Amino acid sequence: MMFVNSFRSEWIKTKRSAASWLCLIGGFFIPLIYMIIFLKDGGTLDTYGPGMWQKHFTQLWQNMAVFLLPMGVILASSLITQMEYKNNTWKQLHTTPQSYTTIFFAKFGVILVMTFKFFLFFNIGILLTAYIPTLIFKGGLPAESLPIGYFLEGNAKIFATCLPVLAIQYLISLNFKNFLVPIGIGLLGLIGSLIGMPWKYIYISPYSYCALYVFNPKPSHYPVIYFAAIMLLSYYLYLTKKEKG
Amino acid sequence: MNCIETIDLTHTFSSGEKVLKGINIQVPQASIYGFLGPNGAGKTTTLRLILGLLKKQQGQIHLFGKTIDANRVEILKNTGSLIESPSLYGHLTASENLKIHQRIHQCPAKRIDEVLEIVGLSKTGKKKAGRFSLGMKQRLSIAMALLHTPSLLILDEPTNGLDPNGILEMRELLKKLNAQEKITVLVSSHLLAEVEKLVSHLGIIHKGSILFQGTLDDLHKKQNQSSVVRFATSNIEKTAEIVRAQQLNPALSVDAVSIPVVEKEKVSAINAALVNNGIQVYEITIVKNDLETIFMDLTNNSNL
Repeated sequence: MMFVNSFRSEWIKTKRSAASWLCLIGGFFIPLIYMIIFLKDGGTLDTYGPGMWQKHFTQLWQNMAVFLLPMGVILASSLITQMEYKNNTWKQLHTTPQSYTTIFFAKFGVILVMTFKFFLFFNIGILLTAYIPTLIFKGGLPAESLPIGYFLEGNAKIFATCLPVLAIQYLISLNFKNFLVPIGIGLLGLIGSLIGMPWKYIYISPYSYCALYVFNPKPSHYPVIYFAAIMLLSYYLYLTKKEKG
Repeated sequence: MNCIETIDLTHTFSSGEKVLKGINIQVPQASIYGFLGPNGAGKTTTLRLILGLLKKQQGQIHLFGKTIDANRVEILKNTGSLIESPSLYGHLTASENLKIHQRIHQCPAKRIDEVLEIVGLSKTGKKKAGRFSLGMKQRLSIAMALLHTPSLLILDEPTNGLDPNGILEMRELLKKLNAQEKITVLVSSHLLAEVEKLVSHLGIIHKGSILFQGTLDDLHKKQNQSSVVRFATSNIEKTAEIVRAQQLNPALSVDAVSIPVVEKEKVSAINAALVNNGIQVYEITIVKNDLETIFMDLTNNSNL
């Protein structure tokens, strides 16, 4: 129960926050571009031919997952965590009657839910870019029905590839006052991974998994292993921190 | 019973600077304890250690008779605090800031309006806390500390940024909470004049050591003890000799000799001796040191 109260308390902090706006704008950005292209050219989902939903889903995710998704994740997780440094509120948070474990996981829970919200907005965007032009130009629904299972599986797998980045950014943001440190490290990690994409050992970079998955969706345990290890380290560092505000 | 007690609390910064040197403070239940000291004396470090914001290195800390290490959550349920500058989310309104804490403390939602009323912020509406003046931010922080009706309030310089009227209101509020709800208040300040009108007990810290601890009455006794009788005469040297003959230790200034306060018969005898020796006595006065002077003496004369 304490965790639920703590999570609800943390969620209030995201109201009107930069992370919330980023989530909304970032989620609809690529679908909006596709929508404009479809409406301008009179295109519809049916132009993809058989497997139209899968092709549409893959195409939009390829545009999103290479750079914008990890970048959004880096920014959102850093913004949410750094809110406490920015407002000088760690000391107030740490004098509330909650265990450190509750605080740690409630805050990370908010980052996870915010990422989930981002996925939700993006998927709503994908659906809108499929349905609206078809309705306008064909006066009906796409020729194929929506493969819900494919969408859910694809989203879950891409979400899993984000977890190491979320964990790393959370760890760095918890330990550095300066907002530029988590953003800088995140950007370096991401750009470095994109440049190093042809390298055969690129999978050792936790920032590479989103891009690796959308171009070569082979199952890998690395993201989950990385996530678990980084979260454990992050939790240990947080608990043993000498100054808590 | 003491609500807060520290035993030999010592703390050294990572730079090697020893900021607390074995301090022992006792804050009695239902008291208003003024924790006084100049800037950099170690007040905030002590309060941060008491609240568990800093990892304890040496010594013991007891709140409500329990150690903070083992009973942190239970202790914090009954404690409201304000440490240094206000801690607020600038993008949220006053109510939203309080709602964050209301969710954690699970206190009734109507408490938000009540505490906003108490601190005079009930009309701030949709204004974001980031646009508040320092005084308003301070008031909102105090509202946060009061939200869950704690039995202990720890306030670090709570009147920072408040105007004289705000300071007066704050003082009255703390007095009222203490008198009516029996809330123990630990309030730090670097201004004696500010706390002497509020507190029942006092601790003076300087360079990491406690120089004085006791009731305000104890400090007033110290004030009386430090009062002097001042003889302004025509011959200071000769006056000092006569005073010494009375087994007293005089302090000389340009135009007067001062001695600790003695019985009026002794003052009369000194006066008679001065007149008999042909010394003109211009003035005999009792000079009482105000508390500020005692505070300055304590902090300036400590060989720390």
